[in-house]
Amino acid sequence: MAWIETVVNGLLLGGLYGLIGIGLALVFGVMRVVDGAQGEFMVMAAFFAVIVLAAAPDLHPLIIFGLAILFSFCVGYVYQSWIVNRSMQSSDPLAPLLLTFGVSIILRSVMVEVFGADLRGLQLGSLSRASIAIFNINIGVMPLLTLATSIALFLLLQWMLKRTSFGRIIRATADRRDIVRLFGVKPDRVYACVMAMSVALSAIAGLFLAARASFTPFSGVERLLIAFEVVVLGGIGSFWGPLIGGLALGVTQLVGLKWDPNAGLLYCHLLFFIMILIRPSGLVASRS
Amino acid sequence: MTLLEVSGLNVFHGDLQAIFDLDLRVGEGEVVALVGANGAGKTTMMRALVGLIASKQGRIRFDGAEISAASAEDIARAGLCMVPEGRMLFDSLTVLENLMMGQVLRRRGYWTLERVFELFPILAERRSAMPRHLSGGQQQMVAIGRALICNPRLLLCDEISLGLAPLMVEQIYAAFAQIGKQGTALVLVEQDVKRASAAADRLYCLLKGRISLETAAGAVRVEDLTRAYFGA
Ligand SMILES: Nc1ncnc2c1ncn2[C@@H]1O[C@H](COP(=O)(O)OP(=O)(O)OP(=O)(O)O)[C@@H](O)[C@H]1O
Ligand SMILES: [Mg+2]
Repeated sequence: MAWIETVVNGLLLGGLYGLIGIGLALVFGVMRVVDGAQGEFMVMAAFFAVIVLAAAPDLHPLIIFGLAILFSFCVGYVYQSWIVNRSMQSSDPLAPLLLTFGVSIILRSVMVEVFGADLRGLQLGSLSRASIAIFNINIGVMPLLTLATSIALFLLLQWMLKRTSFGRIIRATADRRDIVRLFGVKPDRVYACVMAMSVALSAIAGLFLAARASFTPFSGVERLLIAFEVVVLGGIGSFWGPLIGGLALGVTQLVGLKWDPNAGLLYCHLLFFIMILIRPSGLVASRS
Repeated sequence: MTLLEVSGLNVFHGDLQAIFDLDLRVGEGEVVALVGANGAGKTTMMRALVGLIASKQGRIRFDGAEISAASAEDIARAGLCMVPEGRMLFDSLTVLENLMMGQVLRRRGYWTLERVFELFPILAERRSAMPRHLSGGQQQMVAIGRALICNPRLLLCDEISLGLAPLMVEQIYAAFAQIGKQGTALVLVEQDVKRASAAADRLYCLLKGRISLETAAGAVRVEDLTRAYFGA
């Protein structure tokens, strides 16, 4: 029974990991750019929420989340239009990678400067500790909410990309960024919208992470690492890949911890390493 | 009435110049053939006209407005559209979705999804297929239909018969007769001179980035054309 509980909790954690990877996957899928600053964006959203919560302690957590997501959406739009689009003009595919990692270092330093390096947490009151029992298994309400949100966001994004005209324009731009211009589409603007969505999704992941465990301005590094592992593990270019990859990592982490309490993320990294060796295309192989 | 007037156009690929001091004119509703050997610069010229190549000099007037500095998006919005060489369909979009990309410009006119399906009935049948599952000819129909739905004033077509079975080429050129009837002006780029001049009113020949011949399509003299095509 204890093992089942561990696996269930692993799946719940995995939903969060999937959410951590989805922003990175979206940007890579559409622009072929590895965005090295996604981890910092997750932390930034959490700091934003901490500030708002300190200024207005009576605000409902949902409103605070909403504000942080909106803030991140705008940050993503500006980040893409002012910075990343510029580097994408270059014929060197490494240029945007280096640039975004540069941005991540700057963001991290600025956050240390402003907030200091102390541990912070996002206290959501009783919600953080609430749990329900299903078949004698104790399940936290927060993790359950996280997994549900994660699945809902995956479905929403899938629907948007497949069924709306804006989604069609995004896919066409991902296919041929020069030809879409013949149809009046400005690729730079599409990219800015995609980055805005991506940073907003990462913000949601960052908020859930912050509600779960404390963080510092340096937490972005491990967040990006998880995002990266989730995307590669799931299969680059596959839509459901990040969620599947996240679930695999979550279960691996908690089972590993139960077996060896000092392991931390060791077994996650091992799983990632082994998968790269034996199945580099990922768990969900993409069609192309 | 002149729809497109190009004068003194120079186009560059980095340090390399591909088009030299080119003059070209297309009238309202006119069908113009542009022929030339491999590497003559036909694709380069078309891509420069629609704004996909920015490093160019010279004057391009379209529909009374100067467009030589305009963005590709604005040029398309003005009604100068292109069926690009190699079809360049959106691979992750279905046939229907590819055609719907033509609607993004919101240029209303004769051409709608329904009319394109009438013109190429096979596309209606295969509307949910992915482009890679179509034959080359069907892909070309999608590329043409996608551009038609933009309701262009002038449509540039780059080597649409390349690599297609003769019967398919026949079918596609039959469609051009119908497209011309709606008053759409056409520039047909071809390596097959006979095919192009049969469909056109006027013919230009391009040689190493320069116009080497301009003539009425019905009055092409073989020895002139051979010289213009291959150089003396
Ligand atoms: N992207 C590019 N970079 C550098 N040079 C180029 C590029 N594209 C074309 N060229 C050069 O410009 C010249 C004209 O090429 P272009 O493709 O316009 O010819 P074309 O008439 O369309 O030939 P084809 O019949 O083979 O399609 C050629 O010498 C070609 O090598
Ligand atoms: Mg060509």
